[in-house]
Amino acid sequence: MVARTKPVKKPARKSARPVAKKTAPVRKFAKADPVLTEIIRHGVLAVTEEMKNNLTRTAYNMIIYEALDFTVGLFTPEGDTISIGIGLPMFIRGMSETVRAKLKHFGADGIEEGDILITNDAYLTGSHLNHVTLSLPIFHQGKLSAFACCMAHWIDIGGTIGGITTDIYAEGLQIPIMKLRMAGVMNDDLVNIIRMNVRIPDRAMGDLRAQITAVTTGERRFKELLQRYGREETLTAISAIMDQSERAARARTRAIPDGEYEATSYMDDDGVDIGKRIPIKIKVIVSGEDMTIDLTEVAKQVRGFYNSGPTTGYACAQVAYKCLTSPTDYPINEGSFRSLKVKLSPGTIVSAIKPAAMRWWMTFPMTIVDTVFKAMETAMQDKVIAGHHADLIAVRVHGIHPKTGNLFIGGFGPLGGGWGAKLTEDGQSATVCLNDGDTHNSPIESVESKYPLIIDRFALREGSGGAGKFRGGLGIERKVSARAPLTFNAEVDRMHCTPWGLDGGKDGFGNNVTLHLNEGAKTDFPNAKIMMQRLRPGEGFTARSGGGGGFGSPLERDPARVIHDVAEGYVTADEACDIYGVALKADGSLDTAATQVLRSQKSRVRIAGE
Amino acid sequence: MAKATKTQTSRVKTSRPSAIRLAADIGGTFTDVAAFDEKTSRLLLGKSLSTPRNLVDGISSGVNKAGAAYSAASIFLHGSTIAINTMLERSGAKTALITTEGFRDVYEIGRINRPDAYNLYFKKHEPLVRRSLRFEVRERLTAEGDVHIPLDEASVHAVCDQLEPLGIEAVAIMFLHSYRNPAHEVRVKAIVQERFPHAFVSASHELSQEYREFERVSTVVSNAFIGPRVSRYVAGIDEHLKKENFTGSFLLVQSTGGLYESVQAREQCIRMLESGPAAGVIGAQALCRAIGLDDAIAFDMGGTTAKAGVIYKKEALTTGAAMIGGYEQGLPVQIPMIDIFEVGTGGGSIAWLGEGNALHVGPVSSGAEPGPACYGRGGEEPTVTDANLVLGRLDPARFLGGEMSLDVDAARRAIDAKIGKPLGLGTVEAAAGILRIAATTMSLAVRTVTTERGLDAAAFPLIAYGGAGPLHASAIAREIGTAQVIIPRAPGHFCAFGMLFADLRYDYVRTWPGRLANVDFSQMETIYAELIADGGAALERAGSGDLKRKITRWADMRYVGQEHAVTIELSESLFKKQDRGGIKQAFDAEHQLRYGTCAPNEPAEIVSLRATVTGLMKKPAMERIAKGSATPPKAASLGARMVSFDNRKAAMKTPIYIREELKGGNKITGPALIEEHASTTVVFPGDKLTVDAFGNLIIDIGRN
Repeated sequence: MVARTKPVKKPARKSARPVAKKTAPVRKFAKADPVLTEIIRHGVLAVTEEMKNNLTRTAYNMIIYEALDFTVGLFTPEGDTISIGIGLPMFIRGMSETVRAKLKHFGADGIEEGDILITNDAYLTGSHLNHVTLSLPIFHQGKLSAFACCMAHWIDIGGTIGGITTDIYAEGLQIPIMKLRMAGVMNDDLVNIIRMNVRIPDRAMGDLRAQITAVTTGERRFKELLQRYGREETLTAISAIMDQSERAARARTRAIPDGEYEATSYMDDDGVDIGKRIPIKIKVIVSGEDMTIDLTEVAKQVRGFYNSGPTTGYACAQVAYKCLTSPTDYPINEGSFRSLKVKLSPGTIVSAIKPAAMRWWMTFPMTIVDTVFKAMETAMQDKVIAGHHADLIAVRVHGIHPKTGNLFIGGFGPLGGGWGAKLTEDGQSATVCLNDGDTHNSPIESVESKYPLIIDRFALREGSGGAGKFRGGLGIERKVSARAPLTFNAEVDRMHCTPWGLDGGKDGFGNNVTLHLNEGAKTDFPNAKIMMQRLRPGEGFTARSGGGGGFGSPLERDPARVIHDVAEGYVTADEACDIYGVALKADGSLDTAATQVLRSQKSRVRIAGE
Repeated sequence: MAKATKTQTSRVKTSRPSAIRLAADIGGTFTDVAAFDEKTSRLLLGKSLSTPRNLVDGISSGVNKAGAAYSAASIFLHGSTIAINTMLERSGAKTALITTEGFRDVYEIGRINRPDAYNLYFKKHEPLVRRSLRFEVRERLTAEGDVHIPLDEASVHAVCDQLEPLGIEAVAIMFLHSYRNPAHEVRVKAIVQERFPHAFVSASHELSQEYREFERVSTVVSNAFIGPRVSRYVAGIDEHLKKENFTGSFLLVQSTGGLYESVQAREQCIRMLESGPAAGVIGAQALCRAIGLDDAIAFDMGGTTAKAGVIYKKEALTTGAAMIGGYEQGLPVQIPMIDIFEVGTGGGSIAWLGEGNALHVGPVSSGAEPGPACYGRGGEEPTVTDANLVLGRLDPARFLGGEMSLDVDAARRAIDAKIGKPLGLGTVEAAAGILRIAATTMSLAVRTVTTERGLDAAAFPLIAYGGAGPLHASAIAREIGTAQVIIPRAPGHFCAFGMLFADLRYDYVRTWPGRLANVDFSQMETIYAELIADGGAALERAGSGDLKRKITRWADMRYVGQEHAVTIELSESLFKKQDRGGIKQAFDAEHQLRYGTCAPNEPAEIVSLRATVTGLMKKPAMERIAKGSATPPKAASLGARMVSFDNRKAAMKTPIYIREELKGGNKITGPALIEEHASTTVVFPGDKLTVDAFGNLIIDIGRN
């Protein structure tokens, strides 16, 4: 189902590090005290880390404290990112845009000390209404000096529960840009409106308090930096950090061969037009030390709730660019993206226009990022990665808890699954998808003590990793039974459009969902989207995540690795023989002679096939 | 839990008149020995090179250097890196895991997180037991501890049959919800022990009765993995001690800083993971008691890392779990430990320029080979030690008591070439910058351990030890805003010294969820009574049933709906009175302290109950040094040299003192350097130093 990658213009060399054929940058950078700059770098990182800690440890809902579905950050008075403490990597852009919008809304004069600004406007944050964003302006000696921000996922924001939505109004309460706190005084009217519109107001208020803790922590700690090192000195050091990041990103972009690169992939469907594939076509243009990621040709916005706003379109490009050019540089700041241009046209799945439905915004963008890696396959072989399972597989149940008589909305956190292989390494198994970062699953022992469920099996999915010289990681399967009547929802994609291999590597397994009903197992679904399924006690479901794509030809895989994979049950003996061309003796050891024969036969077939 | 080895235990003799306490701390490079003679109140110290092949030799040579003998000792205290090294080097036993049917991959799947979120080459944790050695048996309990699927003993025997030909040395057992009901684990352990009498067998509930299956399985696997090697090591020392006519008690330091008997250490090896660093914090705690401090930061800086722990209201702060091998790829261990935060900054940390000429210090270290540029062993990278040397803070001729001489020119060349020239900074400016960055990173470590608890680091005196601690303490104190720094005697031996002040200690925790509003206190007391009885039994097994006991009850609590809990102490009076309101208030207050917020109107729940049973050992009195006047004696003076303290000002002529010659009551105003065998204390201009009656250097930090 997945289209092949085609670089429009073949790069001059296959190596990702061609000889310096480009000229050095001419941009002049501000001179700052290098020692203070490093001290401030540690300082801002410490501030965002502490914000993160205080949020997760005070939050009420599992999505924040285990799934870490949040982001905290510090921003300049203009809204540029100073440092963000990532829960959600895809939220690399959301808060910066929100700060800018808030600044525009109130004007610099309309913001005063003691304010906390709030919104969950999906078309602004780029995501869904559950993401409530707070921004606290930090003043130093009367001057606006920064913003401390916190986006976090609320477990419920009203709207329909379960099922698919086709416009934003069905998805819950929309809070425009407002002041939650005005010069130190809480806006109780707004708080009451929120309380009235959400299903579990105590939890929502608990999470709101946790978010306030996060931004006030950021305020307190950043003010300490300003007091200790001075406002101008601190802000100058921050701009020097951004310049350092920019220089690094530019230098690494310069190492990529100039050219235009393209790739296309597909999503299963939007949950409304069942089976109608959704094309994702992207183009990357590298010229000197600049990269343009062109998303104008991704599919138009869809009826089902898989859309996201333009902020997320930018975020897709930024995430891909960071992964390729400065994956381990911190803090994450504006400077890293000055050499990146993003092209978006309005009304696509990542630049949706009101009233597009956005509730499941996070699924499609992951595949867009993966498709950028696919486009860069030949240009940056040692930096890219084969396709991954690319879905949270965050299936949920809700119902009335038999012990308390109250509504519960239960989840397990994301399932985690297989990641793609790379030029020199196997893919990782059982790891959270790209949308999420330091996100944890929920312990089985915790889930079972909170919800009327019993988990029957939680295991690696054998054979699910795409074959290759380096193998894709394995997916997971989780089988769950209900202990009380409940309703089940799965919004999973990439069942048919499986994680792709690169450079001759094979695809991994796709994601899927099975129901176990009293009348028997049901697997014949057209997709992995199962909405509002009632389950009786004893009935249940299995959610399975895909494996990662392989990298390079399986016939080139070191036979010792194949033997190991079979011994550990990651790969079946049949797969070893049929796909890897590795023959095993009865005791599981390598049959060298038979392997040679098998591999030469298979490679002849392969050459003939090509 | 009890093994039939009771006859081997020796009694802790608390009242022997001519008792000598021996303490040996084995570190990566050195083995430190401290011996305390109770009769004379004298402290003897010995330092010898660690002997990795036969660690006992290093201990013996340290004991000899300290001028002590095993036969004269009543207690031998020991902390070792063997447990942590076995884990980090992955040099443990061939281990199998037996777990609930359907869940053998829990240990490999872990928590699925990618902390390094943009790194496509990220790697998750690597299990200590590979998949083909993880076996499942048919059984299942519910979250309430009820039997959902009864234990199928035939499936256990089938697994044992499979294990038979594999040459397994250790077996770990972990079943879901065993914290609520350990029956299946207990039974399976018995079967496995019967089938494999020579294997090291460990069940998860013996180590952790807390929920979270991945963390618990990782804990029990770690224990089984290191078990055979660590228990052999402990047994080896035991034998050696007997041969040397030692008739006293052999006790080991746990990660909580508490002691346990060697027989217990041979079963619950994982508890001694961080014994050395924990002993340092216990030493700092003892120092606080001796000089009347309630709160302090214990700060330990060596060659590659700096560690910080906290003493708050006279107690060392502990945590319920830690990641061994770092956060990103580490393996969790869910047992109580002293809460220690570590950063990769030490004397050997390399200063380097990143992309965009960003100046960084550490975490890469030059190690012992080739070492800092000034060691003259081919190291070309500038390090923290090189910066100290260039600024005049270290004496090139008297490093390690003159056992090694340092090359100032080499240090200068390295700093100029790698840092100064590219950044357009002079040598002194660059060296001062390196030390400032190092001080900042270390100060952030100190802040992390305190701010995570809602405490203000600046309000805590800093007790600095380890070879490099005294060199940097004053600078770090300035970063934090600390008013006082304390350099204990023999800062390089401080961890061994700390052991002399530890108590026997047993920690228990059991997950027992319930709302505070309708908690059944008698049921709760039943659980506490069980935990406390376990502690009493452990003391008896250590032959120390006669020690005075201290019992502390704790509860992990949270607001209903929260996940993370905070641990609060349940005082005797709150508990006896069944004072729900009082307990709630104590929880609200702790939540407010830690997070700056609380919700007095929200209901709270209990997650886990904890009990600590401490057998109080008789502590040695701290040795006092000779008294002197405010002016240091002439014999203490070692002249002066030029030292740079501030890159904007010229170097200052700085007097040097010999630590051993200083007398109680001596006062020194900075700038000054105090030199001793393995350490130099830097006193900044504006600082005021007083030598106290115990020989500690008390430095009041100048406000500049």
